[in-house]
Amino acid sequence: MRNLSMTRRLMVGLTAAVAGFAMTAVATVGQAADKKIKIGVIYDYTGPLAGGGSDLQALGAKIMIDHINSQGGVEGYMIDPIYADAQSKPEVAINEAVRLIEQEKVDMLLGFYSSAQCVPVAAKVDSLKKFMWITTCISPAVLKGRNLKYVFRPQVHGAMFGELSVDFLNSNAQGKLGMSPKKLRVAIIHEDGPYGSGVAGGNEAAAKKFGMNLVLKEGYSATAPDLSSLVTKLKRKRPDVILHTGYNPDITLFLRQAKEQGLRWKALIGHGAGYGVADKLYDALGNDVDHVFNVDPVSIWLLDPKSLAKGLPAVTAKVGAEYEKAKPGVKVKSAHVGMAASNAHVFFTNVLPRAIKKYGGIDAESLRKAALETDIPEGGTLLGFGVKFPKSGESDMMGQNTRASPVVMQYVGRKVYIAWPKALQTIDPVLPLPKSSPYAK
Amino acid sequence: MFAEFTEALFSIFFVETLINGLLLGGVLALLSLGLNLIFGVIDVVWICYAEIIMLGMYTIYFLHVDGGMPLILAAACGVGVTALLGWLTHRLVIGYLLQAAPINQLLATGGLLFFFQGAAMVAFGIEFRNLGVSLGSLAVSEDIYLSWTRLLSFAIAAGVVVVLYQFLSRSYLGAAIRAISQDREIMILMGVNTKKLYLLTSAIGGGLAGLAAALLALQYDVHPFIGLSFGPITFMVCVMGGLGNMVGGFLAAFVFSELITIGGYFAELEWGYVLAFAFFIAAMFVRPEGLFARKS
Repeated sequence: MRNLSMTRRLMVGLTAAVAGFAMTAVATVGQAADKKIKIGVIYDYTGPLAGGGSDLQALGAKIMIDHINSQGGVEGYMIDPIYADAQSKPEVAINEAVRLIEQEKVDMLLGFYSSAQCVPVAAKVDSLKKFMWITTCISPAVLKGRNLKYVFRPQVHGAMFGELSVDFLNSNAQGKLGMSPKKLRVAIIHEDGPYGSGVAGGNEAAAKKFGMNLVLKEGYSATAPDLSSLVTKLKRKRPDVILHTGYNPDITLFLRQAKEQGLRWKALIGHGAGYGVADKLYDALGNDVDHVFNVDPVSIWLLDPKSLAKGLPAVTAKVGAEYEKAKPGVKVKSAHVGMAASNAHVFFTNVLPRAIKKYGGIDAESLRKAALETDIPEGGTLLGFGVKFPKSGESDMMGQNTRASPVVMQYVGRKVYIAWPKALQTIDPVLPLPKSSPYAK
Repeated sequence: MFAEFTEALFSIFFVETLINGLLLGGVLALLSLGLNLIFGVIDVVWICYAEIIMLGMYTIYFLHVDGGMPLILAAACGVGVTALLGWLTHRLVIGYLLQAAPINQLLATGGLLFFFQGAAMVAFGIEFRNLGVSLGSLAVSEDIYLSWTRLLSFAIAAGVVVVLYQFLSRSYLGAAIRAISQDREIMILMGVNTKKLYLLTSAIGGGLAGLAAALLALQYDVHPFIGLSFGPITFMVCVMGGLGNMVGGFLAAFVFSELITIGGYFAELEWGYVLAFAFFIAAMFVRPEGLFARKS
């Protein structure tokens, strides 16, 4: 009997502890103002995706929301964010989105890191006729062929990532590698969720278009505890270039096992997510990370301030200062923070003011009309690219920013450089991999 | 298709795959040893075992990277901390549940899993941390390189099995542990202090988690959710070998790992896991007590 009551007490204690942890993941920030726009902000604050980049994206969005509020809000509205944790799980993301809409009565949703979450959440939010502004997740499957009305993504989509890396190879194969693009042996490996599959689809289509020799295309689970078979297969296929899309633990595992098993290449091109967190890669693998390429929207701190519209460089500087305050000791500022900050900035400084002034409100219909009228030219955002969404019937990817474009970056000596496109280059791409690298072919 | 298969089969890389399977088996065997020991003696499954490994990895990371302690010493401290955690787990939780229904025991250790994960997240954050240490690899031929870390895991797993076997079969304490695992009630009547033996077993099981942590920390990033990658597989290996049967678990680890690597070599990586799990399900139909379980 004594044991039973002890057990009960213990179980109650454990349950309370678990519930406590769950509750700390959701924090509400209130603002004292007459008019407020209540925004549900959803990212992964816990789980494997948090450290894989979502936490940094969430930081970028929060910095921008705080910045806008510190400027007095938007057209008389203060931003009232309700931060929610998707816990790196699609089902939690859906539940949190519905909870925020139905119980917290938010006016709209913003954020989302994982494409695996975005795909179901976007459809659900659209069916509830609520406005959703995606800052991050890139899978084409989120929007393609779905004709969503209330979901908008200023972000670059996955196929663009995949196409750009191959375009970069096609343009540099002869000059840098001394090989015709058609002779280039290319392997595509990717995590098997919508994010990895979307980028890999773009890789494959572009590689076929340029007639490259695709020797392997394979997906794997981002939580796989062992990638040695994949590395062995790659050794057998002897690719010149590996195009890789993954999160964080799987990327470091792959690079470590590749080194230990003696896999060699002429170039490794990553596509965002884990490859966008350079500090973590360097911490794990040291200087072996040098000369790895990463395709992502540009790190906002790499852009020439003169190429941006008036006032934007100051915002970039402020985001950088707040980033350093939140993460003291950061060596390489991650593109993730700037990405979310920029995409949130577009909403707060362009879409929302128009919705309030021209359409008289912050309801989904007003926000939608305002978003469809967005017409920001190149240089008009912190990320450098413009923003324009297709009109009805113009595209099979309604809600996708048609002016977004990524860049190819290269890590050298713990610094990030823009390697492609040529117009933005801050480094002549180092290609093939120098012999000093343990991965050099 | 057939030509591709035969080319892959007769390639030198198939040999590498077989060896990699063996080496992965060493990792899985090491992970399953402590869990099997605890179940074999105390008859309780610690669902939270992989989370104790995770806490061991954090201990080693902080002592080595932040504290500047030599890696070997940090690993030894990691073993000590996890042994203490094992002791505490029994002293504070399992000890009160020995007579409870198995489902309650499972729920309690499941609760501990979330508690450890949550506590690690609050205390250490969600960042991925890495020792940044690589032991390099052994060049067997121009094409085949073997990871020293994995070779070490394999050797240590084999060594631990031998040491544990000797301890359980030849020492007085080992004999007492074996006896209690055979009949818990009768040993109390014979005047044996079962509580002490359970605590000792839990501490040894926890210490083995620390040993696994030392080797995993060389190969994987440390983060609060690392247990999710290994917990389910470790549990399946133990069940396939016959829960509580250390030698069975050791052998099952190699069956499991070879299926994963061979399947992943001939088809997509995920098919390796499909093959291993399908084999597990079939094995549970044919021998539900485990492939290598002794007849009771």
